[in-house]
Order: sequence, then C-alpha cells, then structure tokens
Amino acid sequence: MNRSKPKLKQIFLVILLVPLLTGCWDSREIESRATVLAIGIDKADPDEEEKEDEISHRKGKIDIPAESLIKLTVQIAIPGRIPLGPQIGGGDRSPVLVVRAVGHTLEDALLNIQQEVASEVFLGHLRLIVLNEEVARDGVDRFTDYLRRNPEIRRTAALVVSKERAAKYMEIKPELERVPSLYLAEMVDSLIELGKFPETFIGMFWSILSSKGQDGYLPYFNIKGKSNIQINGLAYFKGDKMVGKTDPLQIGGFMAGIGAEEGGYGIFVKPPELEQEVLVRAVERKTRVKASLKNGKPHIYLKIRYESEIEEIDSRMPTHIDEDDTKALENEFSKMVKEGLEVLIAKTQEAKSDIFGFGEHFRGKFPDFWSKNVNTKENWQDHYANLTYDIEVITSIRRTGMKAR
Amino acid sequence: MEKTREVTTFQAATILISTMIGVGVLPLPLFAVRSGDTGAPFITVLGIGIGAIALIIITKLGLRHPNKTIISYSEDIIGKWLGKIFSLLVILFFLVLTALAAREFGAVVITAVLLETPLEVTVLVMLLLAAISARNTMNTFVYIHSFYIPIILAPVLIIVALSLKNANFLYLRPFIASDLKDSFNGALTVAALLQGSFLMTLIIPTMKNPKSAVKASLWAIFISGGLYVLIVAATVSIFGTEEIKKLYWPTLELARTTSLPGNILQRLDVVFISVWVIAVFTTIFASYFLTIQSLKEYFNLQDHKMLAYFLLPFIFTLAMVPQNILQLYDIILFIGKVGLIFTFFYPMVLYCWDLIRNKRGSKDESKQA
Amino acid sequence: MSVFRHRTRRKKKLPIDEIPSKQLEEGPKKISGTLDENVMYMKEMLGESDDFVIKHFKVFGKVSAVLMYVNSLTDQNRINNDILKPLMYKPEHLLKKDILLDELISILFSEILYDSKAKLNSEFDELVNVTLLGETVIVIDGIEEAIHIDTRKVDKRSIDSPETEQAVLGPREGFIENISTNIALVRARLPTADFVVKTMKIGRLTKTTVAFCYIKGIASEQVINEVEKRLSEIDIDAILDTGYLEQFIEDNPFSPFPQTQSTERPDKTVSNLVEGRVAILADGSPFALLVPVVFNQFYQTFDDYSSRFLMGSFARLARMLALVFSLIFPSLYVSFISFNPELLPTEFAVAVAGGRAGVPYPAVIEVLIIEISMEVLREATVRMPKQVGGALSIVGVLVVGEAAVNAGLASPITVVVIALTSIGSFATPAYVAAFALRMLRFPILVLAGIFGLYGVVVGVIFIFNHMLSLKSFGVPYMAPVSPGNSQGMKDVVIRSPLWWMPNRPNFLKPVNRDRLGAQNNKELQHNKLGNDQREDT
Repeated sequence: MNRSKPKLKQIFLVILLVPLLTGCWDSREIESRATVLAIGIDKADPDEEEKEDEISHRKGKIDIPAESLIKLTVQIAIPGRIPLGPQIGGGDRSPVLVVRAVGHTLEDALLNIQQEVASEVFLGHLRLIVLNEEVARDGVDRFTDYLRRNPEIRRTAALVVSKERAAKYMEIKPELERVPSLYLAEMVDSLIELGKFPETFIGMFWSILSSKGQDGYLPYFNIKGKSNIQINGLAYFKGDKMVGKTDPLQIGGFMAGIGAEEGGYGIFVKPPELEQEVLVRAVERKTRVKASLKNGKPHIYLKIRYESEIEEIDSRMPTHIDEDDTKALENEFSKMVKEGLEVLIAKTQEAKSDIFGFGEHFRGKFPDFWSKNVNTKENWQDHYANLTYDIEVITSIRRTGMKAR
Repeated sequence: MEKTREVTTFQAATILISTMIGVGVLPLPLFAVRSGDTGAPFITVLGIGIGAIALIIITKLGLRHPNKTIISYSEDIIGKWLGKIFSLLVILFFLVLTALAAREFGAVVITAVLLETPLEVTVLVMLLLAAISARNTMNTFVYIHSFYIPIILAPVLIIVALSLKNANFLYLRPFIASDLKDSFNGALTVAALLQGSFLMTLIIPTMKNPKSAVKASLWAIFISGGLYVLIVAATVSIFGTEEIKKLYWPTLELARTTSLPGNILQRLDVVFISVWVIAVFTTIFASYFLTIQSLKEYFNLQDHKMLAYFLLPFIFTLAMVPQNILQLYDIILFIGKVGLIFTFFYPMVLYCWDLIRNKRGSKDESKQA
Repeated sequence: MSVFRHRTRRKKKLPIDEIPSKQLEEGPKKISGTLDENVMYMKEMLGESDDFVIKHFKVFGKVSAVLMYVNSLTDQNRINNDILKPLMYKPEHLLKKDILLDELISILFSEILYDSKAKLNSEFDELVNVTLLGETVIVIDGIEEAIHIDTRKVDKRSIDSPETEQAVLGPREGFIENISTNIALVRARLPTADFVVKTMKIGRLTKTTVAFCYIKGIASEQVINEVEKRLSEIDIDAILDTGYLEQFIEDNPFSPFPQTQSTERPDKTVSNLVEGRVAILADGSPFALLVPVVFNQFYQTFDDYSSRFLMGSFARLARMLALVFSLIFPSLYVSFISFNPELLPTEFAVAVAGGRAGVPYPAVIEVLIIEISMEVLREATVRMPKQVGGALSIVGVLVVGEAAVNAGLASPITVVVIALTSIGSFATPAYVAAFALRMLRFPILVLAGIFGLYGVVVGVIFIFNHMLSLKSFGVPYMAPVSPGNSQGMKDVVIRSPLWWMPNRPNFLKPVNRDRLGAQNNKELQHNKLGNDQREDT
C-alpha cells in the first residue's frame, strides 16, 4: 500500500496535468495587448454609416436606428514608445495611437476597431471615457450595459462630458505628461483632491444612475487654447440624459449641497461694511440634510457649516481687517453661498434633475410616503420640481494667512 | 487508525467559519437585496439566525451522542432502515453541494478573470485540490482549516475598510424590509449558504472537550455571520440596492471599486478572487471531506483515501450539469433550500425524536424500578 | 498504532554474508592459549594491510607476548611509552616476586598499565573490530584473553567558526568531524546530570559511532523512543554524514521540505535540547541533526535570540519576507505581466510593455530561462574555489544579465525580479529549507504560466496543505501556527522578549514545561516599576 502510494499519485497527477499543457489560454503578453487608455464617444456624422464595414451585422439589418450611430475614438498605448525609466531626450513620435471607428453600440464600434488593430484590444487600463455633450444629452444608458458586463473595465475609471467633440480630447497633446490620456485622468483625480469637484468615477455614477432618489452628475470639460483642458462646470442628468450644465463656481455650491467635505472654491466677498473685495476660500464644510414632510409635501432643510480662510484682499484699498470685519465677511460669505445654492437648486428643479440626492433621504427616512407617492425615479423627479427647502449657512473664518496687516 | 480526540474548541470554530465563508459570499448581497431591498442586512441577520438555530440543534444532537457521527446515531434513533435512507440522502446532498460550489467558483473565475480558460479546467483544478487534500487525516483537515482562517477573513475586512470612504449610509435605510414573505424567503436563501455548519456532526466525535461544542458553534456563527452582515451592509451602502440588482457578484464588484492607497495595485478584484480561492477551497474541501468521511462510515470502510479519487469523476460530472450561469443560480437557490430539509429539519426531527424516546425510556426504567 | 506515521522503509534486507568480511567467513572464534595460533589468526585477518603491525616482546622479560595495532590509526608515542615500556620493565617492588601466569592479568591491570580504558576480551571478532578502530591489542602467551587499550589518534581539524551558519552576535565555535569533541562541545555547555548521551554503531563497513542526546525530564519519552527505534532500524554499509541518517529517519522522504534540522552550532544544539528536542551526532560529520522540527525553525537564527528582541524580530520579519520572495516573486511577476497587467499602475504597465517589446518569448519562458541559468550559476559557484567563485558570480550576474537585456533575450525588469528572488533565497538561514523553496518555485511558475494569479494561489495552497500534513516525529510541521499554540506563536513572526515566553513550546510535548521561574518574572516587573518610580522622583 505504502509502496504504491506515491506512484499512484504521480500517475494520477500526470494524467490530469496533460490537458493543462495545451493551456495558457489566457496568457497574453503585456506588449501584445493594445492597451486602451481612453475612449472618446461622439455622434457619428450622418454620412459615416456608409463607412462602417460589415463586421458585427449586415448593413441595414440591425434594429438600432442610424441616428444613434456613434463614433468611437480610442487612444492606444504603443509599447516601446513610452520608455522604461527616466526619459532620455524627447522623442517626437507620439506614444499613443489614435484609432477611430463607428458603430451602433460601444462593443460594435470596439469590434470594428479590433478589426484594424493587430493586438487584442485590452480595456484593463481604461482610465477615462469622454462623452461628447450631444451623446450625453441623448442618454448614456446604452453604454453602461457593455461596460458593466466587461470584467476588464475598472469601476474607478473617470467619466466626463466634453463640450467639444470627444475625438479632439484623444488627439490633444498636453505638455505635462508623456501620455495624453493619463494627463486627463490624473487631472480628474487631482481636481477631486483639490476640492474642485466632488468624488466622481464611473462606478459611482452608475450607482447614482440606478438609485431612485438621485440623478447623475459628471464633470464638464472644455478645451482652452491649443492643448489645455479646463473643468468648466458640472453636467447634470435627468435619468440617463444630460439636461444641463452649471458654471464652474456653482460646483462649489453643489458640493455644499451634497456635503462634500473638501472645500476648494474661493469667491470674492464684499460685505457692505467693508470697502475691499476679499477672496474667501472654503476649507472644509459640513452639511446636514434634514428631510421632512410638510403637509404631506417633501421639504428639505439644509444646514451647512463652512470653515473658510482669507486668501487675498484686494490691495488697492487698505488691507487691514479686524475681528468685526471677519464677522461681516462670514455673514456675507454665508449669504453668497446660500444665494448661489438657491439658484442652483432652482435651476435643477426646473430640469427635474435631483443631483443632490434629496430623494434618497425621503426614500430612506419616509418609506411609507415613498411607497405610496413616489416609488419610481420618474415620480421623484416630478416631486423634486416642487420640493420646498430652507438653507442655513454658517461660516467661520479661522485663518487669515501669515500677513498681519 | 484509532480516533484521537485532539480538536480544540478554537479549532472547531475555525473549521466552521472557513466552511461557512466560501463562494456563496460573492452573490450574497444580490440574493439579500433581491428579496428585501434595503432590508438586506436585516434579512441576512434573519438568515443567520435560522442558520444559528440549525447549528445549535445539530450541536445539541451531536452532544447527546458524543462518540458518533450523524450517520451512525441516526440509525440508533429512527431505526436502521430509515436512518440509512436519510443518511444516504444527506451524503448525496453534500455531494451535490460540493459540485455546485466548485462550479459556481469556476463560473466566477471564467467570467471575471480567466476569460478564455475552459470552465472544465478551472472546476477540475478546484476539485482536484480538494480531492488530494481530502486524503489526509482528520487532524490535518483541522490544521488546514485553522491555518487559513486569517487569510480568509483578512481580504474581506481590508476591502470593506478601503471602500467605505465611498459609502452612502442613506442607501441602507429603511432597515426593515416591508414584505414579510419575501424576507423570510431571502432569509432561507442566506441560511442555505450556512449549510456547511452541518460539518459539526463530524467534528464532535473528535473534539477534546465535546461539551464546548456549543460555544464553538456560537463563536463560529457569530464571526462568519458578522462577516456576512458586514459584506451586505458595505455593498448596499456603496452601490445602493438598485445597482446591486444589476450585478452578479456585488462582493467582487466591491473589490473592483477599490484600489490600494498609493496605487500599489490599481484594482483589487483579481487579487481578491485569487485570495478567495483559499476561502472557496476550504469550503469545497470541507464538504468533500464530509462526504467521503460519511460514505466511509456508511459503508463501514477502513480507508477513505481511495474514496477521494473515486468520487472525483462523479462530482465533476455533477458540476458540469448546469448549462450556464443563469441555470446555475436557479439550481443553486433550489438545492440550497431543499438542503435545508436535510440540514435543518432532519436534525430537528431527530433531536425531538431522541428526546421523546429518551424520556419514554427513562419512564420505563423508573416504572421497572 | 502509534501516533507516529513512521513508514517502514523499503530497505533490502542484506543477507549477512553479502558484506565482504574475512572475519565473518571464519565464524566466531575465541582466543586460544597458544600465542602463535592467535597471532596467525590475526595476521590472516588483517595481515594483508601493510599498516598492520605485529610486535613480539616479553612481558617483564619473561612471558612472550604480542602487541598488535594498525599504525595509521594509533598514537605511536603512547604505545611506546605507556604500554610497551611498563610492560617490558618489571617495576622494582615486583622484582623479587615471582609472578604466576594466573596473577599476571590482574597485576598488569592494577599496577602496570597506565590506562583507564584498558579492557579484556576473548572474542576474535571484537578484537579485530577494535584494532580497526585504532586500539592496541596485547596477546600474552598462555592467557586466553587479550587486553585492548584505546590508542586511537586520528588527525582532526581544530574547532573553527561554523561555515554555513555565521552569527553576528553569539559564539564562534562550530562542530568538527570528531564526535567526542562534538559531544564535549555540547556537554561543556550543559553540565547537568540530566543531559544524556546514548551511542550506537551504525553502518556495516563504517561502523560509525552515532550518538543521540537529550535532556531527561524535558524531551518527551515518545520522541526519544521513536528516535532510538528509527536509528536502530538503519542497516546500511556506510554512514558518512548525518545526512545519511536523516534520509532514514525522516517521516516523509518524498517531501521537498527538510524534516530534521542540521546545524553546525553547538550553541544552537544546546538551545534546542533545552527546548526538548533530541540531537543526533555522527562521527565524521560536523553537523548535528535536531528532531523533531517545525517549519518556523528554518528561518530562525541564533542571532534572533542573542540580540535584543526588537532587533531580532525585525531581522526575522525581513527574513520571512525573503522567504516569500524566493517562493512566489517570479510567478507573481509572470501573472502580472501575462495575465493581469490591469493591476499595475498604468504608467508602469505601459513602460513595462515597452521594456518587453523586443523580447521574443512569453514572460514564463523568459523567466524560466533566466531562472534556470541562475540555478546553474549558483551550482557552479558552490563548487568553485573561493577565489574564483566571487569573480564568477559577479561575471554571471552583471555581465550575463546586462548582455541578456541588451541582446533582447530578457527585459530589464525580469532581471531585477530574478535578482531579488535569488537574493531572497539566500536570506533564508537554513540551506536545505531555502533549497526546498527554490525548487518549489518552478512548479508555481508553471502554474502561473497557465492560470496567472489563480494558478499561483492554487500552487501555494498545494504547498501549504502539504506542509500542514507533514509531521516530524509526531509533531505537526506547521506548529505552533496550526495547530495553534499561543506560547509558541510568540516566537513565530516576531521574537518576543525572553521573559514573555515562560514556557517551552508545547508542541514538542516537553515533560517539564517551565522555562522561567515564576519569581523571575515578578522581579523583572518589579525592577521595571522601580525604575519608573525612580525616574519620576
């Protein structure tokens, strides 16, 4: 018995291992993958349907209308062009390859791209998806199915809306980073860190999109000059369709509304008591949302505490301020935030887009009211349009910088 | 091999924990949310409660026969033939459970990580791992389980901790599910995931101090149940119930949303699955071991080693029965609930019967005296 | 059945006459009273060798006798001065006495021979045996017994610092090839009556002295008996090193993991004896075998204990990391590169792809090629003379590595990975354990090539399960981690302060468990408290 044991085991193992030798099914070397770093989605030009080859379907034999044809621009990293270690001398050749294709759906277009690229298209490093505003206004749900299904996609990728055609963003050559799309993706990350935009990534956007009491929002970019990109506001959605955008400054108000802690925006404040314009920047905020039902109607009470600092005082005037002045500044700052927020809420109410997620408060705290009167996302959007609210803002200025007078 | 009573209370608890935490944790939030929306954590607690009751009954029953496993004492209680029939059913059930667990994990792997690898291969690797390990003695079985426990608990805790910064606790409210019937149904589904605890019947005869078996069971259900609730609460608070309904494996998706600070690893889903192989292995290993040990006892065999390889083709074939993932989950949910008959009602009936029998027995004795 | 799963080995039962031996052909024979007959017999047995010396002389100038020895093994001076001289000159106080043949032996023993180990024997087998071990045999005419005296002198190395187990802090003595010196080194550190040394001869031709030692009252009876049993079952022609013994007494010969620990250090041997282990020494081997072992011993060093606990713990953590490195680092690299590049930071992934762009092979093959050449290189340096070895390793690592990268045979990162792996494997103090892990790296690498990370984990589970099922003399190999033991755990990942470990590790089932006196602990606490208070005031 003992004698035969190891032998038997070995024979058994060998027999079972033989089929494995044909293996390495999933092994695909890193350099033979076409690593897609960014995707831009545009509406296809009307004549571009003709260009599409018969790859995933016969021409005209598909039940998706031609108007919704999309044009996909992808940025693929070329191995070898991005050198290992510190860069020695600047190569003029672009480290990325930009490929375009049209398709009825995302995967359709990607299949068309695969047809043009030798290596397998690999989406594991997809860091950025740029949606053209037009596409976003038509609805984004049609892209999420593929992205959710594909295990390569990271939920932490950034999704942004662009004013210009998304293809432009794929071709842009920022000076600061070797790989263009990495610059963009990192820009989104660092904007969030600086408090210029609330936490946003594709997984979070999906969660919000799915939830019944909130509507989605995404950063809105535009191109400044030749190769600079600017965050130019916040695109807000109703359901899966973009319905409008805010000013950059309103992002700060929005962040106050959802209670993002990291403050980043500064505004010029000039209380009537003072004669100088003072630049006050939010450092930190705390927001309390209190939902209630007033006469069976949803009502929101927002209490926002700001901690701010004085960053600059317009120096054409005397720059000395004292204790009373800061009080005035605090009040004025609060007032401005409140007004700004009211404008923003009014604007979104008009569009029936509850980007603040007030609906979630009612769903969570008043389940009876919710199940009786709301229950669906659409119903809540209607309720949101008529939502009443009170806003209270309290600011305290704790820092004034190193300058005494 | 003479039976040695070496298993400590701590080891017994670790066996149960690593058995109960397995591949079922991956779709757990989906099942819980499906039947109770935001009440998912509550449903999970309810399911754990049911599981705990079952486990305690099994333990109490085992304690009445501290030297035997359920295969032999069931014959003492309800008679030889009835006992034999039910034992066979229980063994068959765990055979199927082993197959399904291997298949489910195989499906996860080929869907999420190894997209081109044949399903057969991933399932076979898992089963082979279990079969080879199942040839070991009871002592090694115990060592293996208690060794892996930290590796099973750590990844979940790490991922939950890392992802909590994106949590929205509003998603958890209201806490109580509205529909009672659905909730109960969901609770049964959750309880079905805890069926590995049936292993307790096998452990008690090897415990150094069988009296502490109840303590071990309670600790085990507390820790693994706690982990269940934690996972459900974390996924719900991060994704929201509506998003979870769209995902097969929300727990895995949690790992997909998380990256290690400092960008050491940009995403954790693959790492999580890879580490989860260990958790799944211990689960499959436990039910495999339970099956062959019971079979050995059932047929009064001397050696269980050959049985381990002998069963492999059967389990593998069973694992290949479901056609696709949709059918797989239908079967898993169905089998899970059917299994409750064996792992919950059957021991309960045995326990009651045993109590009645004993009372009558002692009455008879007192009459005679 | 006992708890020991000692496998009865498939040893060929050598029929006794298969070993070539003249003395055995003759069969047992006793010495006779006739001197010539005896000398003839011995001559027949050993006379073929030229180093066998037969010297005729007369005891006290009267009784003819013969002195026989193998001159290559013996101390010539001693034979001349301590044996021959006193035997030939009749001392003064006996001059007048007429000595009868019957009395002669007792007089020789009590008054003439200056040797405490002189013995009498009448069996020829035995006499031949002891002659071959370096003793001198004296046969006297008319007496049916022969005297044999230990005059063995074999040149031995001086005590040196242990080559394979250098310690920064701690004793510098190492075992040598002479067993009595080795036992002396141990016994000098353990002047206690409880320290027991038992010897036996193993090996039909070599008749190697094998000793096993333990401390009575600490080492478990079970283990001692098992060691004795397994040693006495060995039946082989030659034992040249403790390594031979190891292969006969280990539990699972097919396992890549060592199930005994060999050490060159007497201090380490003593510390293990004190923990309740048994040490096995063999003549001719500078290594002691320690049993039973558990895995964590293989990454512990003497330095851990001789240095302060923070230092020791830190060094140990680094070593554990190295252990993990040497096992799975290349396979992790392969699975990242070929299976899951999405795990790497994007910038790095893109750059790595660039580095690999010219390499013609898949990552697995690439790593395998470099790994195998690394093994060849390592094997080459081990056999090299010291002066050349250093040069070779530099040439190998720097030049070949650089050239391979330049030639596009390997990517620079692969070279970095392999280098780290090799360094990691050298950081494991126990050579055999490091070897096991280095060997197991290859199957895991292949698994990684097939399944990526999934394969790595499956491989690691295989290895761990194997280790968990191993036993060394009844002690689970992975103790005290599993089965868990809180006392033992204090010495696994970190090396806790000595006063935190008042008990011996209980997985060795020591008879006496207390390591520290209870009072000791209290006083330590008290002293510390006292210090604090003094500082306060």
